[in-house]
Amino acid sequence: MSGADKASTVSGANKASTMSGANPASTVSGANKASTVSGANPASTASAGDGCGAPAGGVSVTSVAGTLGDQAVVEGHVTREGAPVSTGYARLLGTGDEFVAEVPLGDDGGFRFFAAPGSWTLRVLAPQGLRAEQSVQADNGQVTKVEVAL
Amino acid sequence: MSRSDVLVDADWAEAHIGDPGVAIVEVDEDTSAYDKGHIPTAIKIDWKKDLQDPVRRDFVDKTGFEALLSERGISNDDTVLLYGGNNNWFAAYAYWYFKLYGHDKVLLLDGGRKKWELDSRELTTDVPERPRTSYTATEQDASLRALRDEVVAAIGKRNLVDVRSPDEFTGRLLAPAHLPQEQAQRAGHIPTARNVPWSKAANEDGTFRADDDLRSLYADDAGLDFSRDTIAYCRIGERSAHTWFVLHELLGLPNVKNYDGSWTEYGSLVGVPIELGEAR
Repeated sequence: MSGADKASTVSGANKASTMSGANPASTVSGANKASTVSGANPASTASAGDGCGAPAGGVSVTSVAGTLGDQAVVEGHVTREGAPVSTGYARLLGTGDEFVAEVPLGDDGGFRFFAAPGSWTLRVLAPQGLRAEQSVQADNGQVTKVEVAL
Repeated sequence: MSRSDVLVDADWAEAHIGDPGVAIVEVDEDTSAYDKGHIPTAIKIDWKKDLQDPVRRDFVDKTGFEALLSERGISNDDTVLLYGGNNNWFAAYAYWYFKLYGHDKVLLLDGGRKKWELDSRELTTDVPERPRTSYTATEQDASLRALRDEVVAAIGKRNLVDVRSPDEFTGRLLAPAHLPQEQAQRAGHIPTARNVPWSKAANEDGTFRADDDLRSLYADDAGLDFSRDTIAYCRIGERSAHTWFVLHELLGLPNVKNYDGSWTEYGSLVGVPIELGEAR
């Protein structure tokens, strides 16, 4: 799948309008195959897989040794009225709302998943009942960026 | 034992903040969450630094557990209320661990840190001081813990419950999707295991589903024979501690063990059978 295909997949699959507190007009910024992973630091692999927990914001991409390889990364930020939402949770769901993974949002509202390639649903939960939901596409060796506004 | 003997809600926790007989403990792998804010009077236990042996792959021994609890100011008479992030995975693991070492008065906070945060309840950065104690643990209760040889021998004979995500179970992923995909040498699951992801036992806010729903989930949907002994496993044993809590503590099944070696051990063993794809 090309980068252009991928961007249109993400922006065209916004389900946020059905959720309370979500702003369908500003939930998706489009996919961006970020080049930041080329700076990955092979020396910082120690913390990546020792445990099983999800640190706030998700594990850093730079924790992955060498290049992105066959990792299929989905990452982004959650904002409300332009400010980061630092208390809340991002959940990745599969077909039929099957739970796949969840991370607490980072201080900058950030989240990151290392998914299998394919189509996923991203759901965000935040205090005061705020929620948002949208579809994302993950591909091997690529970072799919998703911006969510509550 | 009933649900109220092992699980309490946030109102109960709030009412017992400052209760001298109740030690509130946040257990996480990422303890920066505690440092940013925790339930008032809660102390922290670091799942990795405090509960795991620093050299061998094992958890701290009886002496280490006694030293930890004494240093944190927890006494044998205290009621310990555990909560944490990751939908209480590590708090459930700690709960299992307290039971292994013979501490009876342990409770889990339903929904853990997530529900507390989503409900916008009070969090503080104040770190309490609890006077040192002289905690005494019992020997490990072997009836709660499965080791690898027992797991291999249980194939086809006992209920094996793999609580990882379907993608990990079938072999598409080696780790949960919030982690880079590395670790075990081989993907897949233990033959004859049923896949009941831990998440099916929890609501979206991290609370446990009702007992009847849970019973139906394991008995009807997954086809678990409740008259058989059961071993639960995941990747490193904390998600399966969550399921162990459901089966042993909430549903009251008598013989349920947690295999804390889990897939990072089993998937790297030489010569053991592995199944790929859907459960057979």
